[in-house]
Amino acid sequence: MIIDINFIGLIIASIMASAVPLILASCGELITERSGVLNLGVEGMMIIGAISGFALMTVTGSLIIAIFGAMLAGVLISSIFAFLTQTLITNHVATGLALTIFGIGISAMIGKNFVGIPGKEFPILFESLKDTIPLIGPILFGHSIVFYFAFALPFMTNYFLKKTKIGLIVRAVGDSPVSASNQGIKVRLVRYLCILYGGAMSGLAGAYLSMIYTPQWIENMTGGRGWIALALVVFSTWNPIKILIGAMIFGGLTIIQFHMQAIGVRIPVQFLTALPYIVTIIVLVVISRDSRKIRLSTPSSLGKSFHKDN
Amino acid sequence: MNTNLKISNVTKIYPGCVANDNVSLEFNSGKIYALLGENGAGKSTLVKILSGVIIPDEGEIYLNKNNLKLNSPLDAKKNDIGMVFQHFNLFETLSVFENLIIDSDEQRESLREKIDSIMKKYNFSIDLDIPVLNLSAGQKQKVEIIRCLIRNPKVLIMDEPTSVLTEQETSELFLSLKKFSEEGILIIYITHKLKEVMQLCDEVAVMRRGKLVSVSEIKNENIESLANKMVGQNLKTIKKKKAKNSSDQLIKITNLNFTSEDPFETNLMDINFSVNRGECLGIAGISGNGQSELFQVLSGEIISDKNCIEFNNNYIGDLNPQERREYLMAFSPEDRLEQAAIPQMKIFENVALNNFKSSNFFNNGLINENKIKEHSKKIISDFNVNTDNIELKSQFLSGGNLQKLIIGRELITSPDLLICFNPTWGLDVGAINYIHETLIKINEQNKSIILISTDTDELLKLSDKISVIHKGKLSKIMNAEEVTSEKLGILMGGAN
Repeated sequence: MIIDINFIGLIIASIMASAVPLILASCGELITERSGVLNLGVEGMMIIGAISGFALMTVTGSLIIAIFGAMLAGVLISSIFAFLTQTLITNHVATGLALTIFGIGISAMIGKNFVGIPGKEFPILFESLKDTIPLIGPILFGHSIVFYFAFALPFMTNYFLKKTKIGLIVRAVGDSPVSASNQGIKVRLVRYLCILYGGAMSGLAGAYLSMIYTPQWIENMTGGRGWIALALVVFSTWNPIKILIGAMIFGGLTIIQFHMQAIGVRIPVQFLTALPYIVTIIVLVVISRDSRKIRLSTPSSLGKSFHKDN
Repeated sequence: MNTNLKISNVTKIYPGCVANDNVSLEFNSGKIYALLGENGAGKSTLVKILSGVIIPDEGEIYLNKNNLKLNSPLDAKKNDIGMVFQHFNLFETLSVFENLIIDSDEQRESLREKIDSIMKKYNFSIDLDIPVLNLSAGQKQKVEIIRCLIRNPKVLIMDEPTSVLTEQETSELFLSLKKFSEEGILIIYITHKLKEVMQLCDEVAVMRRGKLVSVSEIKNENIESLANKMVGQNLKTIKKKKAKNSSDQLIKITNLNFTSEDPFETNLMDINFSVNRGECLGIAGISGNGQSELFQVLSGEIISDKNCIEFNNNYIGDLNPQERREYLMAFSPEDRLEQAAIPQMKIFENVALNNFKSSNFFNNGLINENKIKEHSKKIISDFNVNTDNIELKSQFLSGGNLQKLIIGRELITSPDLLICFNPTWGLDVGAINYIHETLIKINEQNKSIILISTDTDELLKLSDKISVIHKGKLSKIMNAEEVTSEKLGILMGGAN
């Protein structure tokens, strides 16, 4: 069997493409969690983003409106979560779970009219450069703008948290909301914004699925990716670069196990399907073992409601 | 550049409690003011009002004749009022510099220069680039002080600053505060420690139950007069009689080691000591030097090697707390609401948690409520717990009453050994006196105590022998009469 070097490039590119929604949603949730808020509604926000993007694209015909509309839909649905947990001080876990159930339900309802409608082609960039360099060409070129944004996002998130004043404030709020409040930082405002940002990124992740990755609407099409994104945040110990690594491993194994199934490797299918989950968690646990670093990057107030006492 | 701060008719009411009742006070720069009072006297509420954390129901605050509206901590900062809180307001996982830059509008470089010059001027030395959780309590406090000084404050408020400091750190702090005062910063010093007021301050205002009781100059006061004003009654002084030299050994610890997997815990190294019947062994040290680990090993929360702990001629190192209680050991942990009692449970339920076998609290797995209630009532009356409602949730007991309940619960079985960890932490003078009397009584009944405490005065008052724990190692055991608080302070700092 002759393996074309460009074919390997294409496999790697498809692995990266499957990692895109995980990276987007995880990086958004990372910011939310770093401010001390645990939003388990990622799956729900993603699916809302997916249906909103697809519906807007079909109705308006504009890809730009569809992409930004999906992000806005993510913001809107996460604002319900923000209002409940920050203003009405409800429990983060219960509210997040409710958000996911709500999102899946409402997306199925809206989506009824969009089943079976073909998607539109999304413009890809640098397509002409794809064949200029073997192996590297197909990996680097010929992707959508969202793809490039997703791979820049972990680095931007890292820079934001470590180098900017607002990033510092987000970390401070997650570390100790009481101290932050005593320093005059508006804890609730910061948390509101972080939740909305997380919503926008989940919405974008969903739109990527329904508009670019598999351009069509299928009910429940996120298929648990929101939960994987949540797990990536925790197992990466709130480190955006490790999220990138985790998402690549997960995406890689998902793609490879598909190919293995296709070739007919004699391993039980159930084991192959479970493989990405197991390996991703093992790898992230192993690379994040330093308990000192875990302590330094874990938001101490994660999931705890902040209630100003006066 | 004189600063005048005036509090006029400030009132703050919480449901069921008047925290500040029409308080008026005036401060002028150049002096150090003490605000003295027991826990719950309202002094913390008053300073939180001054720092904008709490908004008063009534009353005005004037700084240099300007009426201040302090609606948030930011307002206080803008008006040059700096405050160092009792519980540090630092972000543990951020670096020192990040903690300082977060509320500053300056550029990184110019702020760094400013911090360096402040540290140089007052002789502070702190690494700006390590996370705050690696600092000692004294260093954390310095970070808080630097944070205030960056803003060139006119007023600096210190809320019980020495509760976590060693003697040396305390005297360093006092030197700094005097220097600040000379430079024209108005200092308000909140405390319930009388000795510190006498040492440091020029004027003292005493609060009791939300009301201002007196304002006077220190030179007209002494420790007794201030104590009486603070408590509102005359306090008797208690003194321990020296224990008779018994040689009947009760507990012996040999070659005890403990290595923690948590990097923020302290490892215990080669602990050896013994306690005789009727004796109190005090263990001094700055918090975080292995006291909590030592307490857990002694109480059985952490299991050690069987032969490390010999109690009443039995080897019990591998037993859990409940099994150790069967051998007549009793424990009073440091954190009353987290470790010793369950806040949401009623008093009698908390008593039942201590279910030693002989108590008959449970019959065939069912709770014998009458028996428990009877038992609880006895504890409440024997140990002077100020409530007659054993159905009350224990979170509503004051610290002093809760501690009495816990000690009572432990002592009602008349154990041979009581191990207590900071038993009077955060209590007011009256409750401290009661606990101290109780502990002395235990020794008089020929029972023993291991007292792990960060309060050197308490240790010197109650112990027959004293040892110091530093970084998980015990110093040699000294007779209490030969020890002074200075000597303890030096050992606590790690010197020999």
